[in-house]
Amino acid sequence: MTDEPYRWLEAIGQRREYVESRLHGGSPILAACLHQGLLLLGVGTGQSKVFEIFDRHAMAGIGHPADLERLRQSAIDAAHLEAFTRAPDDVSLRRLVSFGIAPTIKVAFEQLFSPPFLARTLFVELGATPTEDTLAHVDFDGTFAFQKGGCRILAEPGTDTGPAEAFLATHQRPEFTLPAAAQLLLSVWTHLTQGAALTTDATPPPRLAELIGSRTLEAGFLARSHRRAARYLALTPEQLGLAPSPTP
Amino acid sequence: MGDSPPAPIPGDFFALLARHGSSPIPPGHANSLAPVETQATTVFGFHFADGAIIAGDRRATAGNVIVTDTIEKVIELDATSLLAIAGVPATAFEMARALQTSFEYFRRSQLQPLSLPARVRALSRALRDNLPLTLQGVGVVAPIFAGLDTTQSPPKPCLFFYDALGAQFQAVGFAASGSGANTVRSILGYQERFGNPRPSTLDRRAAVRLALQLLMIAAEFDSATGGVHPATQRYATLRLLTADGVENVPDAEQAAALEPSPAAP
Repeated sequence: MTDEPYRWLEAIGQRREYVESRLHGGSPILAACLHQGLLLLGVGTGQSKVFEIFDRHAMAGIGHPADLERLRQSAIDAAHLEAFTRAPDDVSLRRLVSFGIAPTIKVAFEQLFSPPFLARTLFVELGATPTEDTLAHVDFDGTFAFQKGGCRILAEPGTDTGPAEAFLATHQRPEFTLPAAAQLLLSVWTHLTQGAALTTDATPPPRLAELIGSRTLEAGFLARSHRRAARYLALTPEQLGLAPSPTP
Repeated sequence: MGDSPPAPIPGDFFALLARHGSSPIPPGHANSLAPVETQATTVFGFHFADGAIIAGDRRATAGNVIVTDTIEKVIELDATSLLAIAGVPATAFEMARALQTSFEYFRRSQLQPLSLPARVRALSRALRDNLPLTLQGVGVVAPIFAGLDTTQSPPKPCLFFYDALGAQFQAVGFAASGSGANTVRSILGYQERFGNPRPSTLDRRAAVRLALQLLMIAAEFDSATGGVHPATQRYATLRLLTADGVENVPDAEQAAALEPSPAAP
C-alpha cells in the first residue's frame, strides 16, 4: 500500500474520515485570557477534559480518553524533563508543541499501520499579560496553530464556530472577573451544544444544572499573580460563581 | 521470555530521569584532594499551636570562610511540604530540586498528590543514593522534612528528621540539624518539658519570636550559624506549615515579633 501513492492518499483520506467520525459529539472547550489569568472551561465527567501540565501550562482536549491521556503524559514528561535539566522558565509552549507534541501526532496519523491519536487539543501558556498568553490548537493530524491572547474555541470537526468566535471577540474582555468570564464562556458552550441563542442578557443567568445536566463542569485557571510557581487551580462551579443547582 | 527492562513506575520522576540518563545524584567518586565544601548550618522545626514552624539561618561557610549570609535553607517543596537543609549545599540543593520536581510530576501525571509516607521515603531514598559521597565526607546532608498528613482532618503538620544514611524519624515536638543544632535541641527540650508556656502551645507571634531567639543563641555558640540581626535588617528564613499549607514569614513579621509584646509588663 505504502509504495503506491494513490492508495496511500486514499488510506490517509479514509483515516481522516475515521478520526473525524470518532471525534463527533465531543463537548467543546473554551479558553479566555483575562487580566487575572487564563481560564479553560469544558464540560465532561470530572478530570477528563482540562489538565495541568506544568507551572504555567495547561491543556484541554476532546477525543478518546486514552489518547488524551497519552498526549497529556507526553507533555508532562517533556515539560518536567526540560524544567529539571534546564530551568522552569525554559519550558515554552512553542517548543513543547512544535518539537514534541505535534510531530508525534503527525507521525502517528500518517503511519497507516499505527493507531492515530483520536484527539483534538488546546495547549495554553500563561504569559505576563493577557496579550502575551499563548494558545496552541493541535489537531489530530499534527497541524498546529498558535494564537496570542483573546479567546479560543475547541470543538468537534465540522462545527461552525464562526458566530461564537465573533460573539466572544465582541463581548469577552480581559478585565472581566472570573464569574463574568465563566458565565460568558458557558453561554457559548450552550450555543455550540444546544443551539441556544448567543446573548449576554440572561437575567438571572440559568442554573448550571439546567445547562449541563448530570455532567461535570471542568475549569482550569492559570492565575497570573500567585505566590507559588505552580499557577494552575482547578476551580469548582462555586468558585466561578456558577450556582450548581436550582435553589429549592 | 526476553530480558526486557522492568516497566517504569507510574508517576516516578526519578525513573523518568534514569530513562533519559539524567539522574540528579549518580554515585560519585570523590578523591582525597576534593575541595573544601561549603557547609554548617542551624535548621530546626517545632510544633506550635497552629502547626509547625521551620527555621534556618542564612549563612554558608567553607572552613573558616563565610561564603554568604543570604542563602535560603528552608525550601518549599510544594504546597504542603518543606525541606530544611543542613550539610553540603551542592548536594542538598540538588536533592531539594529533584524532590520539588518529583512531587509536582507525580501530582500532575497521576492526578493526585503524593502521600506523606511516600514523600518521607522519597527523601530517604535520595539520602541513600547519596551514600558514596556521604561516606567520603564530601556530600553529607542531614535534612529536616515537614509535611501535611492529609489523612487526618484537619490536615496535621508532621516533622521528620534524618540521619546522613537516610534513616527517617518522626519528631514528636521538635527537630534540629546542623552545627548549631545541639544548642537549639537543648533549649527546645528544656522548654517543651519544663517551660511555661511550652513551645507546642505558643501562638504564631510567640512561635516566630522563639524561633528567632533560638537562632540568635545558636549563633553565639556556633560561628557557622548566621543568626539574626535586627539592627542590620538581617533575619532568618522562617516558614510555617499549617492545615492550610505552607506560608512564608516575611522579614517585617519577624521584626514585629521581636518587638516587646504589648501585653508584656
